[in-house]
Amino acid sequence: MSATSETLENIIHKEYKPGFVTDLESDTFPPGLNEDVIRAISGKKNEPEFMLQWRLDAYRHWLTMTEPTWAYVNYESVNYQSISYYSAPKVKEGPKNLNEVDPKLLETYKKLGIPLYEQERLAGVAVDAVFDSVSVATTFKDKLASAGVIFCSMSEAIKEHPELVRQYLGTVVPTSDNFFAALNSAVFSDGSFVYIPKGVRCPMELSTYFRINAANTGQFERTLIIAEEGSHVSYLEGCTAPMRDENQLHAAVVELVALDHAEIKYSTVQNWYPGDEEGRGGIYNFVTKRGDCRGRQSKISWTQVETGSAITWKYPSCILRGEESVGEFYSVAVTNHCQQADTGTKMIHIGKNTRSTIISKGISAGRAQNTYRGQVKILKSAENARNYTQCDSLLIGDRCGAHTFPYIEVKQPSAQLEHEATTSKISEDQLFFCQQRGLSAEDAVSMIVNGFCKQVFKELPMEFAVEAQALLGISLEGSVG
Amino acid sequence: MDYAEHYQTVSTDLPGHSLSWLQALRTRANIDFSTSGFPSPREEEWRYTNITPIEKKRFTPKVSAGDPSAAAELIQHHRLDDTWSLVFVDGVYSAGHSRLTGLPESIQILPISEALERYPEKVHTMLQQAADCETHGFIAFNTAYFRDGAFIVIPDKQVPERPIQLLHVSTQAEGLSVLRHLISLGIHAQATVIETYVGEKETACLTAAVTEIDLAANAHLDHYKLQNESDRTFHFGGIYSDQKASARFRQNHAAFGGLMARTEIHSHLGQAAECDLDGLFLASGRRHLDTHTILRHHGAHAVSRESYRGIASERGRGVFSGRIVVDPQAQKTDAEMNNRNLLLSDDAEIDSKPQLEIHADDVKCAHGVTVGQLSAESIFYLQSRGIDEASARNMLTFAFANEMVEKIRHDGHRQQVRDALLANLPQTDVRGDWL
Amino acid sequence: MLSIKNLQARVEDKAILKGISLEVKPGEVHAIMGPNGSGKSTLSHVLAGRSGYEVTGGSVTYQGKDLLDMKPEERAREGVFLAFQYPVEIPGVSNIYLLKAALNAIRKHRGDSEVDAMDFLPMVKARIKSLNLDEQFLYRGVNEGFSGGEKKRNEILQMAILEPSLCILDETDSGLDIDALKIVADGVNALRSPDRSFIMVTHYQRLLDYIKPDVVHVLAQGRIVKSGGPELAHELEEKGYGWIDQGATA
Repeated sequence: MSATSETLENIIHKEYKPGFVTDLESDTFPPGLNEDVIRAISGKKNEPEFMLQWRLDAYRHWLTMTEPTWAYVNYESVNYQSISYYSAPKVKEGPKNLNEVDPKLLETYKKLGIPLYEQERLAGVAVDAVFDSVSVATTFKDKLASAGVIFCSMSEAIKEHPELVRQYLGTVVPTSDNFFAALNSAVFSDGSFVYIPKGVRCPMELSTYFRINAANTGQFERTLIIAEEGSHVSYLEGCTAPMRDENQLHAAVVELVALDHAEIKYSTVQNWYPGDEEGRGGIYNFVTKRGDCRGRQSKISWTQVETGSAITWKYPSCILRGEESVGEFYSVAVTNHCQQADTGTKMIHIGKNTRSTIISKGISAGRAQNTYRGQVKILKSAENARNYTQCDSLLIGDRCGAHTFPYIEVKQPSAQLEHEATTSKISEDQLFFCQQRGLSAEDAVSMIVNGFCKQVFKELPMEFAVEAQALLGISLEGSVG
Repeated sequence: MDYAEHYQTVSTDLPGHSLSWLQALRTRANIDFSTSGFPSPREEEWRYTNITPIEKKRFTPKVSAGDPSAAAELIQHHRLDDTWSLVFVDGVYSAGHSRLTGLPESIQILPISEALERYPEKVHTMLQQAADCETHGFIAFNTAYFRDGAFIVIPDKQVPERPIQLLHVSTQAEGLSVLRHLISLGIHAQATVIETYVGEKETACLTAAVTEIDLAANAHLDHYKLQNESDRTFHFGGIYSDQKASARFRQNHAAFGGLMARTEIHSHLGQAAECDLDGLFLASGRRHLDTHTILRHHGAHAVSRESYRGIASERGRGVFSGRIVVDPQAQKTDAEMNNRNLLLSDDAEIDSKPQLEIHADDVKCAHGVTVGQLSAESIFYLQSRGIDEASARNMLTFAFANEMVEKIRHDGHRQQVRDALLANLPQTDVRGDWL
Repeated sequence: MLSIKNLQARVEDKAILKGISLEVKPGEVHAIMGPNGSGKSTLSHVLAGRSGYEVTGGSVTYQGKDLLDMKPEERAREGVFLAFQYPVEIPGVSNIYLLKAALNAIRKHRGDSEVDAMDFLPMVKARIKSLNLDEQFLYRGVNEGFSGGEKKRNEILQMAILEPSLCILDETDSGLDIDALKIVADGVNALRSPDRSFIMVTHYQRLLDYIKPDVVHVLAQGRIVKSGGPELAHELEEKGYGWIDQGATA
């Protein structure tokens, strides 16, 4: 091994900062899953009858399904009876305001750099904080309400806006869509709900921070965003979990609906606990995210920076139904040590003149496996559809893998589609050049990797972009030496 | 009675049935096949090609040698004059149509049915080396059932004076032709092999041909294949090559015929091996044409280049799947794959699945795919020179395809591929005599 | 030969040509000069029939026929030739094939028989030599991998073979060095005849040093703002286009 590859080998060792555990009294169901558990979850949340039925239908369907095996990931299959499906910090009643929230919880978020006190918050971002299975706080609600925007936890939405939930929930990701989506539909405990009324440009960025704390629990959140005609919203999502030796399951579902001329921008920085260097512990992140561009000239844009989780199985997708609708997917996926990620997108072109762009950057280090899997499907009805896809992979070290599996299906002769993919490593010439100009190997790698990801980072809201860059540095620490 | 049962009744008629090792191999292959059946679209590698229609029919192998004059005209037309040729009619070797005069003794070119009698040990060492029954049912089917094929051995440093043509003609309705070709080139040996598959019009049959290629260090094989069978034929072709250090394999594949046809080209690249794959398919009518390649870079410093073009018109469907696998030790791999497609009608479809699977870090790998239509600018340019729009479109379609034809180094084969291309264009007002 | 009356055209919603009138008699050479964006290239594209332009008013009569009513290939067959500013690359179609196909399409239109291969090749080879091009050039894809100068010479070669009545040269001088420009100009001059007319669209006066125009028109903001003899071109060269623009807006 050359001197520079040794340098590369050494740049990946740093502690997973959000890996602490909050010692908190919590209300946790015993492990196991059956109809009674589902009734109990629904009961805990005082849900209307239709929700319970919906959950039970999903559960019964889930029982007939098998876990998918086509992804390029290897893990011991999950024992779904050994997981607890509900865990919430113990409170007598739901907190009326932040002062009633357990100070330990507030401390947790503060440690994570997510202060919930509005005055401490950078102006312009409203936060919904989800701790284990439930939402603990949502900020700036009043200001948003005055614009007509509804931003609350999913449990609250089910109680306060059942008509909206009933109209839209499960219409983008049906309960029977796939194994993990069916499971989520049966047992989801909370999540965020956003409704932007007609013509409203949401006055601030909305964001949710997800935190898994309790051991042996699964987190199943459900997010639904509805953008009415001509509205606009930018939504951010962040995720962290403590370091534990066991694997934990996270199976979320996100549904986005954009009506005529509406625009939804959905950004994620996913930093669940990735497991240790030997691959012990870490989150199984099996997520179904899908946006439905129902309206004319609607637009859904997914941006994701995926650095955490032991296993990632995630394909944020767009159904481009409305004429001239636009779908975008910008992704940076970093895997290090023993992480495995199989992630990408689906762009389903149905309407005329629909356009989609896919930019995916995969970085693989250590012994990790990083797979881009994407489908671009152009149906016969999608006249003049356009797609541009670019997938680049960067390898750091000679024990990792980087894979590109696109699926291109075109049934419309006026469609135009272009796909490019490359795989390469940071060249020793590049490194040497930077070092010769006085940069340390770490800085050089960090600079080169950031350059590699620039196209994606520029899609992130400013505040997130900084966080993402920092995260990238941490994730790759020790990968260069 | 299904194929597996049917095997019991024909096994004693198959060549080499007295060889116990071959009996054992065929029996095992038949068991593999009866367990797996033909590949199903539920298998990832077959998601775009559903061959259940084959299962619904029962094709039967030809029993007698048949009328030698049956395919005379087709053979006359397709046999290349400057080659040594082995001709197969409905899967059975036809000595009368083959041309092997002047073949030096040092080079072995003969039907496998004969090779099993004369050189059984050599066949034993070559069979099932590059192709693996476990890959999918078709290979197992082929191993159990192959009735004939070519056996070509070029010893070290030998360079045959002539190219070698394997010409297959289907004439029999509901016929089944199962061919196994074995090609082995010694160290520094060189050869050109051309496989030509044609059939009588309107003949519905199944052709399953598997070619295994073994290239020793520094050997160089130019391999061509033209698949231009009749509109109702099912064709499965597999070309599996094993390239040792610095061996060079250049393959050009052209597919125009059949109702549903798939050709697989796999190569295993040793250290510093070179592999060039080029291909063209034109799926017109109701044709379904599938080209499926897998290149496995096993040794370091190997170079591969793939370039495939596809055209789907009328109700045709074209499928391309190309996978490049780079093993952990295959550092300094340089692999590029390119697939360009033209989609010319509302009822046509193109599916493309380019894949990179990379386990080494010091590599340069890339792939690119485009699907689109003819450029409006080019059409206008031709119109402004007096050429009507329909002709302009045809000319541009031809040009798109012809660039792949031009890569063929053998004149006679190039001419045949070009004729097949012209005959299969949506409307043919491109003048072959002007080219 | 060509009579353009009050021609107006737009691209999408933007009016580009705002009423152009022009009379070209047989044997005449007209130069159309103007700053970028004045509509010069649009005029040549509209005359050749490129899609994407909408004619919103006026008429164009060519040899007594309504030019605007014809498809691009009909115009070509009737003898209208556009030498492109950016000749299109068509890999896989050889130059010789294009020449044959185009010439025969035009001959067929005139009721002539297909060109005889025995006559065709010597004719092409003679032309190619005078344009200082290699013979191999004929067997390469149309404009594929050609340098800028080769592309322009190829346009002149096609013009020479197809023998049009009206030649429209769209910025033929752009991107050429002085030697290439001379070759192209010699090629054009060799084709001048009493029954063939030329419209040369150009930004610079230097092409006109080599191909002497009979009339020079100045185009600005979609209208011809000034016409005159060859001296007008020199005036433009000295003063630039500034004074023309002012005149047009005033």
